Amino acid sequence: MIQKLKAGARLALGLHKPGRNLQVWPDDTFLVSYPKSGNTWTRFLVANLVYPGTTVDFSNIPILVPDPEGLSKRQLARLPRPRILKSHQYFDPRYKRVIYVVRDPRDVAVSQYHFRRKRRVIADDYPMDKFVADFIVGDGFPYGSWGENVGSWLATRQNRPDFLLLRYEDILEDATRELAKVAAFLNVPADPERLRNAVNRSTADEMRKMEKAQSMGWSTTKETRQDIPFVRAAKAGGWRDSLSDESVAHLEAAWGRLMSCLGYELRFPERANSDAGEFLLTGPVR
Amino acid sequence: MKYGITRVVKYFLGTDIAGRQIAVRPDDTFIVSYPRSGNTWTRFLLANLLYAGKPVTFANIEELIPDAEAQSSLHMKRVPSPRIIKSHQYFDHRYPRVLYIVRDPRDVVLSYYDFSRKYRQITDDYPLERYVHDFVNAKLSSASWGTWRENVGSWLAARDGRPDFLLVRYEDLKGQTESELARVATFFGVDPTPALLRGAIEQSSAERMRELEKKEGADWVTTKGKRADIPFIGNASSGNWKSKLPAAAAAEIETAWGPLIASLGYELTQPSELTSAEPEPATHL
Repeated sequence: MIQKLKAGARLALGLHKPGRNLQVWPDDTFLVSYPKSGNTWTRFLVANLVYPGTTVDFSNIPILVPDPEGLSKRQLARLPRPRILKSHQYFDPRYKRVIYVVRDPRDVAVSQYHFRRKRRVIADDYPMDKFVADFIVGDGFPYGSWGENVGSWLATRQNRPDFLLLRYEDILEDATRELAKVAAFLNVPADPERLRNAVNRSTADEMRKMEKAQSMGWSTTKETRQDIPFVRAAKAGGWRDSLSDESVAHLEAAWGRLMSCLGYELRFPERANSDAGEFLLTGPVR
Repeated sequence: MKYGITRVVKYFLGTDIAGRQIAVRPDDTFIVSYPRSGNTWTRFLLANLLYAGKPVTFANIEELIPDAEAQSSLHMKRVPSPRIIKSHQYFDHRYPRVLYIVRDPRDVVLSYYDFSRKYRQITDDYPLERYVHDFVNAKLSSASWGTWRENVGSWLAARDGRPDFLLVRYEDLKGQTESELARVATFFGVDPTPALLRGAIEQSSAERMRELEKKEGADWVTTKGKRADIPFIGNASSGNWKSKLPAAAAAEIETAWGPLIASLGYELTQPSELTSAEPEPATHL
């Protein structure tokens, strides 16, 4: 009862973090991804692109590209518009303009495993195969499973002008090229110098330095283990060394179709599901 | 501040509409569809299967298979487990088991047009072409469920092919009611004997439901206070759009949602150059 009263008071005063219940404005742009898919990196790239005169770090990123799960309803309502918001939500029809970052789920699984250790959700000796099985089922994952999250956005918005799909692997390969797409999407001038500066200020090395200095102050990391970094390898394909064949086969059996359609090569293509998601392969006729 | 007080009071009393905020239980099963896709008929069919011998009506359907978007949090809380719940929500990862009903969107929009008139959201002379345009472009109140593509696509992409998800096309339910209902029965753990199926189908016929609507429509939560001269139970048929929907309107729907429409087995009137194309590399997604 006390808790219900407290929750009620917070609701009335707008002090709660709205998360999925965010009040959306028509001119909002959302930077969406499944967790551990390069959202924070993209967030820094975008902030450095849009605010070239500001030194972007973990202390001001919550205001520059705010997280509806990090700020209160009241704070979010007072931000200047148009807002660019960070989100991990699966499909929400109210999000009208979306930049969606997708990453190979085999790498996402490895990264989530370490992030869960960092957050003390699992112990260091938690078996990776067991984690991968949990990850596929998605129970206890508030943003749905990887397949649900990615699939729900692709099936609803793919090939629309208000939806920009970026692959984490493509940003790794050529961040300037991918950021130019973001600039065009956001109607921000994309001169080479501005793009280059934004990329240089958001490198994994820069972000590691900032994390070292500021991780105790950033809401995402402050109560987590400090011996495991938030900014990790920042590489693609690490799953090859970290996942067993069994786990890889399990992941590909669950989401092979969606992975192929995103250009992620399968190790066991013959075992991937082939009956579901045909319509994902094509977008609307334009 | 005003919104806050109202919300808090409702929150305490439990009188807020359950809707998307419903507290989901692990043994819940949801009947989900876009509005005007045969959800109410399916509810009646299923309730008549599960509670054979007890005539299902608009007076008791909210107890048997409650509507999460019409009932309060308190009402939903009082429904004993395992619950079967009606919903029009786009994908919600908390729903553990889902029966999803899909219907050709060209028929859906015609039915929705009449429904919007019944609900006094548009007048009788509202141009149908304009309505279709608004329907496709998320300009109507129906957009709170997402567009048809968003609702259907989000569920299919997230859940199709899994044992806890059953997809049923309205057209198949209409055309081969007994065999489709048998699939539904099995999904709900009911042995689909021919006698049981036939009884449920009879009790849920469009004629009987129209009779019930006449008697009970003024009291049912969904139709109460709405125009009584336009029925909630529509013509209960498929393919109506071929004669009723202007060609340009059908083309607009197909241009927007062609691949999804085709992948569900509904024929397109205009060739879709992308539908049969090979998968494109990711950069062209």
